[in-house]
Amino acid sequence: MRALWSIFRMIVADQRQAMLRGAVLSLTVLLAGAALLGLSGWFITAAAAAGLAGVGAVFDVFRPSAMVRFLALGRTAARYGERVLTHDATLRTLAALRVRLLGAYAAAPYDRLIRLRGAQVLNRITADVDALDGVSLRLVLPVGAGLAAQAVAFAALWWLVDLRVALWICGSFTIGAGLALILTVRAADAPSRRAERAAQAFRSRFVDLIRARTDLAIHGQLVVQQNAALAADQQRRLQSARLDRIERLAGLALNVVATLAAGGALWIGMTLAQAGSIGAPFAALGFFAALALAETIAPLRRTAADLGRMTEAAGRVKRDLHPLPQSAARISDEDFSTAETSTGLHVQALCYHRPGASLPVLDGIDLAVAPGEILAVTGQSGSGKSTLLLLLARLIAPDSGNIFVNKLALADWPESQLRANLMLVPQRAVLMAGTIHDNLALARPDLDHATAQAVLKAVALDQVIEARGGLNTRLGDGGSGLSGGEARRLVLARALLRNPAVLLLDEPTEGLDEATAKRVLTGIRAYLPDAAIITASHRPAETDWADRVLHLA
Amino acid sequence: MLSVLGALIWPLQAVLVAFGVSGLLQGQDIWKSGTVAAGFILLGLLRAVLGYAAEGQLFQAADGIVSATRARMVLRESLRAGPASQGAGGLAALAGEKLEMIVPYVTRYAPAQARVMVVPLVILALAFSMSWAVGLVLLISGPLIPVFMALVGFAAKAASERQMAEIGTLNDLLVDRLAALVDIRLLDAGDALITGFAGAAERLRAQTMAVLRVAFLSSTVLELFAAIGVAMVAVYCGFALLGALEFGAYSTPLTPFEAIFLLLLAPEFYQPLRDLSTAWHDKASALAVAAEIEALESDGADAILGTGGHSGALTGPAQIAGRGLVVQRGAQAIAYPDFDIAPGETLAIMGPSGVGKTSFLLMLAGLETPREGALTVAGHPLDAQTVDGWRARLAWVPQTPHFLNASLRHNISFGGDAPVDDALAAAAVSDVVARLPQGLNTRLGETGGGLSGGEARRVTLARAFYAAPDVLLADEPTADLDDETAALVAEGLLALAAKGAALIVATHDPALAARMDRVIRLRGH
Repeated sequence: MRALWSIFRMIVADQRQAMLRGAVLSLTVLLAGAALLGLSGWFITAAAAAGLAGVGAVFDVFRPSAMVRFLALGRTAARYGERVLTHDATLRTLAALRVRLLGAYAAAPYDRLIRLRGAQVLNRITADVDALDGVSLRLVLPVGAGLAAQAVAFAALWWLVDLRVALWICGSFTIGAGLALILTVRAADAPSRRAERAAQAFRSRFVDLIRARTDLAIHGQLVVQQNAALAADQQRRLQSARLDRIERLAGLALNVVATLAAGGALWIGMTLAQAGSIGAPFAALGFFAALALAETIAPLRRTAADLGRMTEAAGRVKRDLHPLPQSAARISDEDFSTAETSTGLHVQALCYHRPGASLPVLDGIDLAVAPGEILAVTGQSGSGKSTLLLLLARLIAPDSGNIFVNKLALADWPESQLRANLMLVPQRAVLMAGTIHDNLALARPDLDHATAQAVLKAVALDQVIEARGGLNTRLGDGGSGLSGGEARRLVLARALLRNPAVLLLDEPTEGLDEATAKRVLTGIRAYLPDAAIITASHRPAETDWADRVLHLA
Repeated sequence: MLSVLGALIWPLQAVLVAFGVSGLLQGQDIWKSGTVAAGFILLGLLRAVLGYAAEGQLFQAADGIVSATRARMVLRESLRAGPASQGAGGLAALAGEKLEMIVPYVTRYAPAQARVMVVPLVILALAFSMSWAVGLVLLISGPLIPVFMALVGFAAKAASERQMAEIGTLNDLLVDRLAALVDIRLLDAGDALITGFAGAAERLRAQTMAVLRVAFLSSTVLELFAAIGVAMVAVYCGFALLGALEFGAYSTPLTPFEAIFLLLLAPEFYQPLRDLSTAWHDKASALAVAAEIEALESDGADAILGTGGHSGALTGPAQIAGRGLVVQRGAQAIAYPDFDIAPGETLAIMGPSGVGKTSFLLMLAGLETPREGALTVAGHPLDAQTVDGWRARLAWVPQTPHFLNASLRHNISFGGDAPVDDALAAAAVSDVVARLPQGLNTRLGETGGGLSGGEARRVTLARAFYAAPDVLLADEPTADLDDETAALVAEGLLALAAKGAALIVATHDPALAARMDRVIRLRGH
């Protein structure tokens, strides 16, 4: 509930004016509806009484009928305005919320980044945020407007009809609907959580089933996995049948409340009229107003059913909006200054454990790389080459030991300054959908044609790109459309454009043949003659390129 | 249908109220106020209960359709021969939330449609029976509603298609960018990413608002017609009661009973039409989903042989013989040379990319069905009856590992009881597992995130060791590995062969092929 409330506060803070106007209009709609039907009932009954009494000629028909028309049109216009205003305001906030969420993911620590499952995050940014539109549109606004309408109706009915009628109508609506809402929300809580969990289990098992179906079929596990997916769906089905029954019961209860309110108003009104305390037209007014006030509680049924889903979504979104803080730099961008000339990279007694693992990956590493020097780090798979590069790029933090870039401790670098001075090309670096130029411009937003051509030439890709249609050639998702070797070279080109003082490469020429690999490596050195370069390597082309080799055991 | 029946109770309630109020006016205490109110409430309760039951039936019907379709999709897509019809994410979205869009169509649109067929006609007949003028008002304003709705419908369709396209673009953009978050961090391009995404999110909002505006406009117009209709009925009744209007009714002037009854009926005349228009987009989205499913189910894809389930092992020595085999892959027909593979033999399948090496392995596992020729395994023809038993004697090392969203232990043993330690040791991954944060209980990323490429490959090798197969099929087991790691994997494969398993590897790697007893070279034609 706290999460729901904070989401609502966010919407209000963002769109105060629109929400306020929307709330006023929703109240207007409800009141106009009650007034319209109440007035019509009064008008007909009063007209009938006048007709029967033979005083029809002096009965003022014009003002009531004009009121009826005014209310009918006004209500419709208010409804339209209210819907457009509140939806627009809510959607604006949700769009901003999506952007903030993505920002939070983009700023998450590295170990969280690599474990993000795309489908899950996509769910969060799309489905969960979508579910939150109900917070204002189906929860706070209708409940608030409904309560306010009941309060105004109470005053009006008391004044026009009778306190007892007013008490009965507004009392039964607020108490009845309130009870129904509370009970429904309580009952729906567990099944809606379980249904959501079952739906997610189905999704993940189904994705496994499709992705691994060859493995599963050959190992005789396909049926097991099919059944696991279907079992999750059965569980979801069971829970959603339960939810549906709760929702229908809520609907039943709300209908009963509306019937009781109207029927009771009729009875009290008729009794009072027969006793002569009020006129028959006012008895009719009370009854008709009660009929119209059913509109104040009608939307609550969906509110009650959706509340569980909304609460869960709000909780997840809120949690992800506040990720664990990164190791914040101790110096702000403004105060930052570093030597104009690069002094390379120094590492002392670096140690690192993977969290929870017993054996250290790296134990007491010392190294120094001067500007213009190339160091190759070698070792078997799993010996910690990639981990060392991640540490040097400050994507993960060491257990102990020191790293200096340009004589300044790595931890002290402001993020933006660090990225401008140090670049890592990871083993699984990826491209994005868009043109070749877009992909390169990610590294340098002011990229011009000549610079792009020069950097492509450095990685022996200029002719390939030319043959494919130049810099404006579009790539598909993840840069599809290029071969593995071409994609690798484009990733390297993108890194060179950053013009870093320290360049870290993880198996830079993987997937390239010997001759191309040599051309690319020579190109890199020529493009960045003064950079300190560390490469995690196993192929001779790369180790031969290096000035020194460090072997990790 | 129950929902129609429920809606028809309202006229009865209206009769009671009209009797009560007109009785009050005329001073005739026909019925005690208590009786009228109790009757009204009882009928109201009946209406609520009918509604409850009707919705229950509809939900069950909808749930039945959705679950059956989903189960069909699970079976069909998992047994599909050849590549998956689309990305697993897209399929999961279709089988999951998109399929759910059929539910509101069945529970909301269908009953609203049924009510539209009946309720307005009944009310119209009742109105005409008392006052032709009121009947006429309803008759004229009623049909305008569907006409207008059809007009709005065209605009709504175009707008909602644009919105769907925008949703698609946004999702694609997100998936693409989410996969690149590490690179974005390293390139310090987070701000650019977020600005770009903000633009896309804003476009989606604008498109969604466009759809909503059309929807709101259509329901506003509906409401306007309904309001004008009700107001006209009310005003007419008022004047007629006063004797100011002498036409339109059969009793002159209109009786109070008739007037109140008509006033109560008028809103209910429009209600089913309004329900239908609210449910209009339910229909649109359900039809879109149904079309997508229809396209998927009628694409004529073949299913693999057998069920892919656990089965008793096929008897007989594990020898394989192929004669005149041809596999159809799209437009391409791959003809394989005849071959015999003896139990325990090690064999490399070599040849250029695209020549059909992987298809060869899949064919031996019954996952690719040859168009022509005879494949005999352990002395039996490979067919739907024998294939699951044959697979019980195989193990498989895929080119790109996929790990189930379960513990590493489960990913190796698939729920088997025996400990996995020996298999880990044989595949030389015991150290790797020891370094993982939770050891055998670790959940790896989908493609082995948390392990290096070579380590992930060796974990799939451990899975093969655990299965203790008679035949091991391995697809490019040393691709993308450095020499040392490739040698480790090759050692593992040969160790398995040393235990008596036949080893069939599809490979480009001459070093690996050299260590096999025999090489079959496939050549294109």
